[in-house]
Amino acid sequence: MNDLVIKKPPLPWWAAGLMLGLIQILAVGLNGPLGVSTQFVVADARIITQMAPEYAQNHPLISQEKYQKFGYGWWLDIGLIAGAFAAAVLSWRWRLRLTTIWWQTNRGKSIGRRLITGFIGGFLILLGARFAHGCTSGNFASGWAQLSLSVVPFTITMFVFGVITAFVVYPKAANFEK
Amino acid sequence: MDMLGFLIGGLFGAALFLGGLAEPDKIIGTLRLKDFHAMRTIAVFVLVGMLGTWFLDMAGVANFSVKPAAILAVSIGGALLGIGFGLTGYCPGTGLACAAAGRIDALITVLGMFLGALVFILIYPSIVVHVDAVANRGKVTLPEVTGISKAVWVWGMVAAGALVLILTSGKLQKTKSA
Repeated sequence: MNDLVIKKPPLPWWAAGLMLGLIQILAVGLNGPLGVSTQFVVADARIITQMAPEYAQNHPLISQEKYQKFGYGWWLDIGLIAGAFAAAVLSWRWRLRLTTIWWQTNRGKSIGRRLITGFIGGFLILLGARFAHGCTSGNFASGWAQLSLSVVPFTITMFVFGVITAFVVYPKAANFEK
Repeated sequence: MDMLGFLIGGLFGAALFLGGLAEPDKIIGTLRLKDFHAMRTIAVFVLVGMLGTWFLDMAGVANFSVKPAAILAVSIGGALLGIGFGLTGYCPGTGLACAAAGRIDALITVLGMFLGALVFILIYPSIVVHVDAVANRGKVTLPEVTGISKAVWVWGMVAAGALVLILTSGKLQKTKSA
């Protein structure tokens, strides 16, 4: 597995960070800080409203207007998908992939287990993000931008549990381009 | 269609991809404390966003959306998200971006996210509202809670971020194969 090497991203860290920071400033100036995870609840809420309208109407969360309409935040997520797709295609890096190099280095070729782990991970990510009122964008990045109190417990628990989990799941270091 | 949201989302998605944050191998590298490209990108992202938001605030044109500091809910949420983050290398925004860039494992993670959002909706009335009420300080900011001025907080965090960049500067070297 030693021939597996993680490619360098197209942009250096400082340029990428600067770009992301400027986008955050643009968002704060024009509408509000960046956030992504609310729209997963919006999508589910719309489906529930179709299938069980009475349940949705009486639900303390999804009956709220914010969770019933496709607004700015929804289109931000659609734009995010389109922007990432365009960037991947234009940088000649769009590729069908089923697993990662860290996974192959530590867990071998099992695609099935990577996908099952991915599904469970996704479940925990969104459940956690909504418990916390925001994800890595809306709570962490935007929380620090606004110096909210909530960013402190979020940053601590997310990184502590993230680092521990990564050490447990990926004990063997993968190779990467400097 | 909300054009502004779509445009900001488009820029965000492209930057996440080009900067290597929408790249699970770079995220795991950072959580494994081996490859600090993503951590340095995130540090610059957060600091630039924080400085810019502060300047916009002083000019009176910042749009804030501070999350409630529900200490218990935010801590649990951060921990769940952190575990998912460490398992997969994805968060909500980068999961969508990676799926758009051709990663099937990211698409599966996104499906897990929709299930996470659904379970969140289902347990919201019975569980989430109660957890959310514990040690909930409301939508407050660090300067408000501590009585220390925004300027001190911003420059203090810039110093802390600079320290992260200095500490990780020598550690971008390629790891040896085992």
